[in-house]
Amino acid sequence: MRITEAQMVSGWGNNFHSLSTRVVVTTHGEAEEIVSMATSNRGLLPIGALRSYGDSALNSGGTLIDVTALKFLTIDSDTAIATVGAGVTISELEHAALVHSLFPPVVPGTGYVTMGGAIAADIHGKSHHKTGSFSQSVLQMTLLLANGHQVTYTPSDPEFWATVGGLGLTGIVIELHIQLRSVQSNSVEVTEHRVANLAAMLDLLGRSDKDYEHTVAWIDLSGDYRGRGVVSLGNYGTKSVKEKSVTGGLSLPDIGGKNLINRSTVKVFNEIWFRKPLKSGPVALTKYMHPLDGIQKWNRIYGAPGFLQYQFVIDEGREEIFESLFTGLRGLKASSFLGVLKKFGAATQAPLSFPRPGWTLTLDYSVTVPGLEKFLQEFDEELVAAGGRVYLIKDSRVSPALIPAMYPELEKWRAIRSSMDPQRLWQSDQARRLQLC
Amino acid sequence: MLNGFKNPGRVALIGGESEIGLSIVAQLPPDKSRQVILVGRSGEYALDVTKKDAREEMVEKLFSGKDLDLVIIAVGVLGKDPTLSAADNLVQAMDVNYLSTVHLLSLISDRMKNQAHGTILVISSFAQVRPRDDNFGYGSTKAGLDFYARGLASKCKGTGVTIKILRPGFVKSKMTEGLATPPFTITSQECGRYGVLALKSQQVVTWAPAILKYISVIFKSLPLPIFRKISQR
Repeated sequence: MRITEAQMVSGWGNNFHSLSTRVVVTTHGEAEEIVSMATSNRGLLPIGALRSYGDSALNSGGTLIDVTALKFLTIDSDTAIATVGAGVTISELEHAALVHSLFPPVVPGTGYVTMGGAIAADIHGKSHHKTGSFSQSVLQMTLLLANGHQVTYTPSDPEFWATVGGLGLTGIVIELHIQLRSVQSNSVEVTEHRVANLAAMLDLLGRSDKDYEHTVAWIDLSGDYRGRGVVSLGNYGTKSVKEKSVTGGLSLPDIGGKNLINRSTVKVFNEIWFRKPLKSGPVALTKYMHPLDGIQKWNRIYGAPGFLQYQFVIDEGREEIFESLFTGLRGLKASSFLGVLKKFGAATQAPLSFPRPGWTLTLDYSVTVPGLEKFLQEFDEELVAAGGRVYLIKDSRVSPALIPAMYPELEKWRAIRSSMDPQRLWQSDQARRLQLC
Repeated sequence: MLNGFKNPGRVALIGGESEIGLSIVAQLPPDKSRQVILVGRSGEYALDVTKKDAREEMVEKLFSGKDLDLVIIAVGVLGKDPTLSAADNLVQAMDVNYLSTVHLLSLISDRMKNQAHGTILVISSFAQVRPRDDNFGYGSTKAGLDFYARGLASKCKGTGVTIKILRPGFVKSKMTEGLATPPFTITSQECGRYGVLALKSQQVVTWAPAILKYISVIFKSLPLPIFRKISQR
């Protein structure tokens, strides 16, 4: 066990700075010990790779239990079940699985996320319309509860679903059993299409879901905000390709805290991205799944003020809300460096899990964009009125008053959570900000 | 908690009737979900600021179960109450402006250190720059408060807690009604704007208006006879 003095910790967006003690546990026993010793009124919070954007993994004045050293990983190739420790990353699981011609059915846009984080956020990927979210491939989870006991839950337990998307507030994930899927090679057969506007993008994505395992679109939200972009469609391939290591490559240097993202730089970048040659053919799975991992520490590009990611989901048939959003953003002259559109499939029964059928759009903005805070507050209300919701693991500014409308089963989650942690041992800055528990 | 734009979610104004304090609160970036607690002479958060036990109870109440992101301490008297003797006016000013406020600062900063975040904005005054014949009693209380707040600001480094000091010049308000208005007088509305700037500033001290920073240097360097002549105008 390694305990560090109180230090400043930030999420991936660098827009929160929180002072807390950090304890790195290397065994289950150490995790049990730290839970039994906990006395602070500011509580404990399990953390992984700190890839959540806002304050989900922060606990000001409290203690962070870093589980990244819990790296246990075995794969039974007969049953295609992986047994993984909470600190194993998606990339590590992918590489271990590929040795057995297996692959996790759900992986997010970055391979750096840990298993504990993947459960806490109930992450999703380009395959959501076919496979659902991460939790739908989890057969069982072992959780260290606030009372110091380890308990194993399966999808038939309400505690399992309270932990899925539960933002780390139900206990410490120790181990997961994950059902992998078989693959014939390490590649994805990719087809890309340029589309001129949002309507064409929605149409192509909607039509492609039945034929493709992986569908996603990059959307250009700069310039005229018509929503032009590139739709990427893929199926697991049969031809193996030479794989370059995606992780561990280029790292964005420290640029002295300057924000390089503004209207002009985004416009140039998006023009190049829109015009780049379209992919067609086999692409390494890990490269295709994790395009952003090619450049480490890319979050530095937003400089010291930091940035926020705004992701929401809206029912099919309510597409008019995109127009309202684009008009507002155009008015603010706010250009997004990263815009991603995808159509979700079925939801899980987890009360706080984000994905549910409909369209999900993801945008990145520097927190320095004038008027952005007020605009997003207004847009949230419009979103809620249209039945939509934001993704909590990425949130850093939504009004707590809107959470019950966005997540109608919040009370159910609170009741289960409270039964698992009556003393409120698990706390986070986000839980305080959004009055979650 | 602060949100991702670094704007406060739960705010307390101690001196809930203070025009400067209310003006600062009103000019914070708008957020419908923000909870603002007005600690004043009446209401749910009524406080007799001169009572030690009451101050302790109020701080306990303010922090019970929830974090506070920003506390603005805007209690103060000029010490010119015509119903009181000069000596009693002085005692009251010392009690409200210095003793009570410093005690609150100490209590609140301790609670904020426990939560490892939070900002306290203290309203000091230009009057603490140099004793003037007409208000050195009041000035001395603000000088004491300012001194303590600067010390606390330094002591809080590395704790997640920030202390900011606003030093207004003459502000037109109910408190200063009937008094002659010197140069660089501002309204409480304008003062509120400087208060919001103080919260965003990297500096501990913010002057309202900003030019007072330079005027204060001149004031301090003037020979006493000249200073007296100017300040008596």
